Amino acid sequence: MVFLRSEEHLSRWLDTNGYEPGATLTVPKMNELARRRYWTKLDPGWEPPAQAEFEALLGELGLVGHFWSLE
Amino acid sequence: METFDLDVRRHVYFSIVANGRPPTVVETAEAFGSDATQIEDSYRRLHEAHAFVLFPDTSDVWMAHPWCFSPTPHRVEAAGRVWTATCAWDALGIPGTLHGDGRIESECACCGEPVTLVVRDGVVADGGDLLVHLLVPVRRWWEDIGFT
Repeated sequence: MVFLRSEEHLSRWLDTNGYEPGATLTVPKMNELARRRYWTKLDPGWEPPAQAEFEALLGELGLVGHFWSLE
Repeated sequence: METFDLDVRRHVYFSIVANGRPPTVVETAEAFGSDATQIEDSYRRLHEAHAFVLFPDTSDVWMAHPWCFSPTPHRVEAAGRVWTATCAWDALGIPGTLHGDGRIESECACCGEPVTLVVRDGVVADGGDLLVHLLVPVRRWWEDIGFT
């Protein structure tokens, strides 16, 4: 997962490397996803999050469809 | 996941926050008063459970998400240290993990120009016009967690 300055830079990067496009997020959206996903990483009672929990988070952020599917 | 492995994982993560690096197997064994082989086995199980990632063919921690312990383009200043993140997600994940603010110095994957992001009070205060691109569908991330 990489940062890109603009849609133009994204298109050029994909073309130059021969990559198929995946998914693009704004930085605020990625920040919300990362923050919510990692908020409990240092909890003393941390346990591996259930897949359903991750699916629910993705759904709450509107990240749905084949790319975001865990199956 | 076994209680012992959860304890080892917690020790690894708390050591990272305290010392800026993960503990070696020997250091963790000393902390637990355990045999190094027992800790090495636990590290291996935690790797296989994706709780953290070992360098290939070693018992040294490579990634404990969001942190990475090999060079990447993503450096994050947070909680009084400069950290390395595995990817754009993890760069933003470090302030979240530490429940604090952060300043991310990275680069545009296309042109290599430096980019700076600031996370303050949980929201992006600078760099919000940048994009993040994911190449690999979520279900395939663990096929090569270093390339997503």
